[in-house]
Amino acid sequence: MELIISRAEILAILPAGILFITGLVQLFSDLGKSGDDTRSEKTHLAMIGGAGLLLALAALFVQGTAASTGSLYAGAMTDDLFGRMGAGVVMMTALFCTLMSGGYLASSANNRAEFYALICFCAGAMALLCQATNLISVFVAIETLSLAVYVLAGYFKENRSASEGAFKYFVLGAFSSGFLLLGMAFIYGTTGGSISFSDIAASNGQGDSLFSIGTLLILIGFSFKIGAVPFHSWVPDVYQASPTLAVGWMAVAVKASSFFALCRFLLFTGGGQELAQILAAIAVVSMLLGNLAALNQRSLKRMMAYSGIAHTGYLLIPLVIVVSGEGASAGASIPFYLFAYAATTLAAFGVITAISVGTDRDDVSDLDGLARSRPFLAIGLTIALISLAGIPLTAGFIAKLMILQGAVSSGFLTLALIAIITTLISVYYYLRPVVAMWFREPRSSFDLVPAPWGVIFTVAVCAIATVSIGIFPGWLVNLSRLSVETILG
Amino acid sequence: MIPELESFNLPVLSLITLTPAIGAILLSLVDRNNKALLRQAALMISFLTLLFSLLMIGNFDNAVGTMQLEEQHTWIESLGISYHLGVDGISVLLVLLTSFSMPLVFLSTWSAIDDRVKEFQIALLLLQTGMIGAFVALDLILFYFFYEAMLIPMYLIIGIWGGRERIYAALKFFIYTMVGSLLMFLAILYLYQHTGTFDLPLMLERIRSTHPLGPDQQFWLFSAFTLSFAIKVPLFPLHTWLPDAHVQAPTAGSVVLAGVLLKMGTYGLLRFSIPLFSDAAFDLQGVMCWLAIIGIIFGACMALVQNDIKKLIAYSSVSHLGFVVLACFIPSVEAITGGILQMVNHGLSTGMLFLMIGIIYERRHTRELADYGGLAKVIPMYTIFFLIAVLSSIGLPGLNGFVGEFLILFAVFRDFPLWGVLASTGVVLGALYLLNMVKRFLFGPIVHEENRTVADLSVREIIYLLPFVVMMFWLGLYPAPFINMVKPTLVLYVEMLKS
Repeated sequence: MELIISRAEILAILPAGILFITGLVQLFSDLGKSGDDTRSEKTHLAMIGGAGLLLALAALFVQGTAASTGSLYAGAMTDDLFGRMGAGVVMMTALFCTLMSGGYLASSANNRAEFYALICFCAGAMALLCQATNLISVFVAIETLSLAVYVLAGYFKENRSASEGAFKYFVLGAFSSGFLLLGMAFIYGTTGGSISFSDIAASNGQGDSLFSIGTLLILIGFSFKIGAVPFHSWVPDVYQASPTLAVGWMAVAVKASSFFALCRFLLFTGGGQELAQILAAIAVVSMLLGNLAALNQRSLKRMMAYSGIAHTGYLLIPLVIVVSGEGASAGASIPFYLFAYAATTLAAFGVITAISVGTDRDDVSDLDGLARSRPFLAIGLTIALISLAGIPLTAGFIAKLMILQGAVSSGFLTLALIAIITTLISVYYYLRPVVAMWFREPRSSFDLVPAPWGVIFTVAVCAIATVSIGIFPGWLVNLSRLSVETILG
Repeated sequence: MIPELESFNLPVLSLITLTPAIGAILLSLVDRNNKALLRQAALMISFLTLLFSLLMIGNFDNAVGTMQLEEQHTWIESLGISYHLGVDGISVLLVLLTSFSMPLVFLSTWSAIDDRVKEFQIALLLLQTGMIGAFVALDLILFYFFYEAMLIPMYLIIGIWGGRERIYAALKFFIYTMVGSLLMFLAILYLYQHTGTFDLPLMLERIRSTHPLGPDQQFWLFSAFTLSFAIKVPLFPLHTWLPDAHVQAPTAGSVVLAGVLLKMGTYGLLRFSIPLFSDAAFDLQGVMCWLAIIGIIFGACMALVQNDIKKLIAYSSVSHLGFVVLACFIPSVEAITGGILQMVNHGLSTGMLFLMIGIIYERRHTRELADYGGLAKVIPMYTIFFLIAVLSSIGLPGLNGFVGEFLILFAVFRDFPLWGVLASTGVVLGALYLLNMVKRFLFGPIVHEENRTVADLSVREIIYLLPFVVMMFWLGLYPAPFINMVKPTLVLYVEMLKS
């Protein structure tokens, strides 16, 4: 075996490598500081993080749409457009979360370097997950990012409910890792010892029922991460208990990177009709339960949790089509949807963060009269909610259009119809914050502290991105299509 | 030498459509406390739009029955969506109606809206772009964009500046509309899958030649499209959102809603439902016409028993638009010409009635008929204008309402006498409830002392009411120029339906 690492292999891990180094620098830069300056904004941490993330994004950008390098590190990973898009979503999310961290953490007297560093480590692991092409590297990347997210979820360690949420997340997450590993073992056994996706696709173990069970178990493992019904029960509790910023990070980055990995895996292995039916059932119940349960939430974070479950359901529709073999090109809507979802959700969580700064409140009624007191934040959240509801002129609409178009053209009319009906239900609860912000008067008893600049910046950029992708989505659609085509070859 | 207008090759339709939206963006930069500037700027923007619309009329060729002033650009190539605009006889008057009413609406809000003026002007301008865009869009997704884009501003207008039950009314409006439009969206995607294009003319051609739709497909697609438009019209029994929305909406909202937004439904029937799925439209002609007739009579009966003036006019809209729906489903040039004229007429007369109710509401803060009476002596000018609007709505010969109603009833009687008889009762009932309202509202003895001191119309109010009156007489006495614009298109349209 050749031990010399090639240039392509270095380039492939460069972005993730930059992030790991950035995280370390952040940790060291905060060493020796006294413990009680956790109230200051610590701009240097955000600066280091921002610089590192921009550098990593630049490293991604330099590669651009360059052709896939084929398998690297003996089949453990690859460097292709699909992976770069996944890494791109994750790193941009990390950038915004880092920018928002300073003001948010300082206001809760918890500003420590760990938070920034964990986001960088986590983002690095996610970038690798999006590029992973064998089972082992998928598992290692998932475990790495999960460990970081467990800590982020319980970051406010003085807060009992946060600790409880983090513990719940940890136990269930560990449990799901077990499923994932067991599934991998089944596949390893039935395909004559193959671990790389392409070997699995080429092997003749596909017909084996144990192979199907293995794929199913992997699917279950991922279902925990993406919060699909019936493996969703941790989502609302953890979302409600965790620091708002960590929730935004989980909602976007964990979901996006898991979907990129799952999509790549399923594009290789397919799965057949039974698996497609199971996946379709998961999609349907996720859409239904997510949207119905969201109807009754007073807490914005819980509402976003259930809405996230519903969006997982929508995102599973293209995967159903891919798995059933009706049209692998339907997978192209996944990168697009995740980009749109990231911009939209970050704008929403930016506003929720701004409201919960210093007060830790996130009730829908806390938004009362926001259009008067903070018109800018109100417009940002309104755009985000409209986009989540899939109403035109927003990225969310184009994303839904792509998914439904895929479903209609592959003959999955029932799935499309359910998606439409549940979207209608979702309009009701997405409008509730809009009603509070625009139609009600501000309550004098509850004063908002000024929003930190990082939050304002994030909301502005993400809301503008949501609208401009909604009006000019062509480039992103092409990029998404191209990325899936490179995998299909 | 004066160059001809056409040689400039101005993208007239884009200008009409996008001017309000660009204006809204500019307005967002104005200081919110400078209310006078905000109001004047919005008025100027809507005037500019009206000027562009007149330019459109100048360039519109009455002899041509196909799409005119077309603009087509690739927009989202990878999804097959293009930016394709065009007008023909079906849409040209509706575009004109919209850009004609908006400056008057803006003028009317100067006194009525004093809270969050900036947001209000921006919402109205965005609404205008949505309405005009939906009338001129020839790409189904582009149409859907504009169709949905109207929803948010209207929702905000009802919800922020509306009456006591505004949140309920706004939500009801939103949910009702969304039910229809989402199913239509699915149908649009299905059509794309079937014909391979979102472009309306191309799609029509393919459905009629190479990609015919089966009876079942036609039925479901027709149902999905028609449900969406029937909710917008609103067709009985889907009308229940309308009285709530009208009563709660501020005056400007009611005017836009009745004047233009409802026409989106009947326009959609004419533009999409009927030509795309003509077999299903013929099969379901009976159902649709019966619903329209029930709507005509039901709306009129409901209007008879209302005590709230706004609610009364709202139900009269249900009745009047029943005539339009009836006309849409009678495949004859006269009927559809009447239908299109009736859309314009209803926009003018109901728009003016809502404006005038807004004027009296500003003075007395009540809309209950029982709180009025005997106003004719106190405010004679108001009474004259109000009577003209009411008589136009009733369909008195010499005013605009007559022409449309006559053409519709003429065509219906010829082919379907029973429907003709039933529909005519709507005209009689219309006279009954409107004159009854006038009697209780303006005539009789003065019961309430407050009514003795009500101020008559101000100059600004006369300025924005007068154009309505002029148009009513013009359309009533000399409708030929308008009919000529519509006719060539409809001749081709009916030929196509019958082939």
